[in-house]
Amino acid sequence: MARLSADQKIQPHWWSKTIASAVLGLTLAFAIIGLFAWYGPGGINGANKNQFNMWMISPIWLAIISFSFLFRTGTRAFLFLGGANVICWGLFVLLRYVL
Amino acid sequence: MKIRSDILRIYQSVHTWTGITTGLVLFIAFFAGALTMFQTPITQWAIPTTQTLPQVSLAEKDTLIQLAASENETVKRGFTINLDDNLSPMTWVEQGGGRGLRIKDEVRQASLNENGDLITLSTQQNVLGDLVDWLHRTAGIPGKAGHEDLGVVILGVASALYFVALVSGVIFLLPTLVKHFFALRQKKGSSRFWLDTHNLLGITSLPFHLMIAWTVVVFAFHDVMYDGLSVVYGDEPMFSPMPRSSQTQDINTLPPLSTYLQKVADTTDGYTVKSLTFSKLEGPGASLRINVVGDGKIQRAAESDIITMDPYTTDIIYSTLSTEENGLYGALVTSFFSLHFGNFANDAGRWIYFILGLMGAALFYTGNLLWLEKRRKKQPVQSRSNRVMANLTVGVCLGSVFGVAACMLSSKWLYLFNQSINPMYLTIYYAVFFFAIVYSFWKGAALSAIHLQYALAISCVGVPVTSLVMFLVSNNEAWSVTTPGAIGIEVGAIGFALLFFYGGRKTTQRAYQGDKNSIWFIANNAPAHLVGNNITPSNVR
Repeated sequence: MARLSADQKIQPHWWSKTIASAVLGLTLAFAIIGLFAWYGPGGINGANKNQFNMWMISPIWLAIISFSFLFRTGTRAFLFLGGANVICWGLFVLLRYVL
Repeated sequence: MKIRSDILRIYQSVHTWTGITTGLVLFIAFFAGALTMFQTPITQWAIPTTQTLPQVSLAEKDTLIQLAASENETVKRGFTINLDDNLSPMTWVEQGGGRGLRIKDEVRQASLNENGDLITLSTQQNVLGDLVDWLHRTAGIPGKAGHEDLGVVILGVASALYFVALVSGVIFLLPTLVKHFFALRQKKGSSRFWLDTHNLLGITSLPFHLMIAWTVVVFAFHDVMYDGLSVVYGDEPMFSPMPRSSQTQDINTLPPLSTYLQKVADTTDGYTVKSLTFSKLEGPGASLRINVVGDGKIQRAAESDIITMDPYTTDIIYSTLSTEENGLYGALVTSFFSLHFGNFANDAGRWIYFILGLMGAALFYTGNLLWLEKRRKKQPVQSRSNRVMANLTVGVCLGSVFGVAACMLSSKWLYLFNQSINPMYLTIYYAVFFFAIVYSFWKGAALSAIHLQYALAISCVGVPVTSLVMFLVSNNEAWSVTTPGAIGIEVGAIGFALLFFYGGRKTTQRAYQGDKNSIWFIANNAPAHLVGNNITPSNVR
């Protein structure tokens, strides 16, 4: 493997990556579950789907936190997770309230 | 598998920090959690048979309900009918009630004598099994955070970190995983042995650990998650209210118990009724909660599934069974609960979860040992943080086990001397737990690990010895050990005694003959019985 230059290497950035993934990861998890709740199998009133939705938030959130340290910098973590939030919440609002 | 070195380094740091901050509380939760597999047998083992009234037939139970209700107003508020032969046929709470660890509850038990007259007995509820369960859920951390136990919230946070620790551990293990998976190198120094043990435990039980981490986060934060979800649901109601009868009723018109059993038999397959809990029988909102045990089924509650009915019409209001009405999502959610509780494969499943729980406790213990080894310097006195962590690891881990062992050892003696049992359990647990921590800071990790393990071994042996003494003293009346659960506890205590005796011996060898530059080393001369035992430093752990 070729040696990586200093700015190609992943920076630790513990605090910024942790905050980015803990906050934006959670809102992203809610957006993904929101889309699933309304438009996934069973629709919004599927039997016991409310419980299933609640259960699925934390594994998505924790997986995002776990893998967020792969972002090269804390700023990129904020940018990518923020972007994913905008896309998912945008899609949610579009489907739910506009179309 | 090749992974970039900068990724490995980062995830090693993530693993170290998430692991070392949560290992101690998770050890308690896992050790106690392993024991909760036998929560009901532990409580039954602790109660003298003289505090249980004889069982009666199903038809006689109908008479019993009416007799008890006519003589006691409390009964109309709520009572439980037990179908288990080891329990009194009818019980109700006279004082107390509610959630959590209820150490002051007065329970009245009722049955019929040979002449068909009502006989009752008021006793303090025994909470030995509940205490173990409470330790499992809170790690023994008292106090409340809102309406939730503070310990539950702390374990929820710890479990979120533990999830991250699992993922990061796997990531930085991947490059060497295939090569070293089943390697348990004993001859390459103690840190290598602990590392191999830690990895083997972690990887072999990884699905179990991911499942536990996830479910504990949900158990701790489900209210917060539902609140957040209500934003997504908008105006759509997330929960439909439970139908409850608003009529007042007369307990005399209650259908016979056989009606409910028939209804359960007609609507389910492979379930047996364990108990029926009636509440508010004469007020509006009368309800009946039936605990049913499925044979090899995934179940919602720790040891059973639940069916609630209107007690007068026998209409099923709610059920946790995987029925068609509950749909695929209901079955999936039940499977999440079931995979936490280990209740899907009867006793075999409970034994597997018991072993997985102990393996989990060992995973956290070895994790802490690795942290200590990694920061070890080639000098006789280790850094302050290293010594503090070593003392805490020994004191907290062995202290919590010792606390439970002391409760079990003292239980039958407390009954003999008529102490108020439940508050004494708590006093004994905390006294022993804090004694162990103070002792390890006083004597240091090396010596206290040896003493505490031997003390634990003696306490564990004391459990069956006590049972034998009580059996002789009480002329086999109050303390016969006949149920499989009770026998299992006595045998299990001997098993733990052997484990701690072996551990104590190994720790002694390490202390006197292991590496000098270690917190586990003791500079004094070795005790005579260990010298010349053919122990060389290479096989000393």
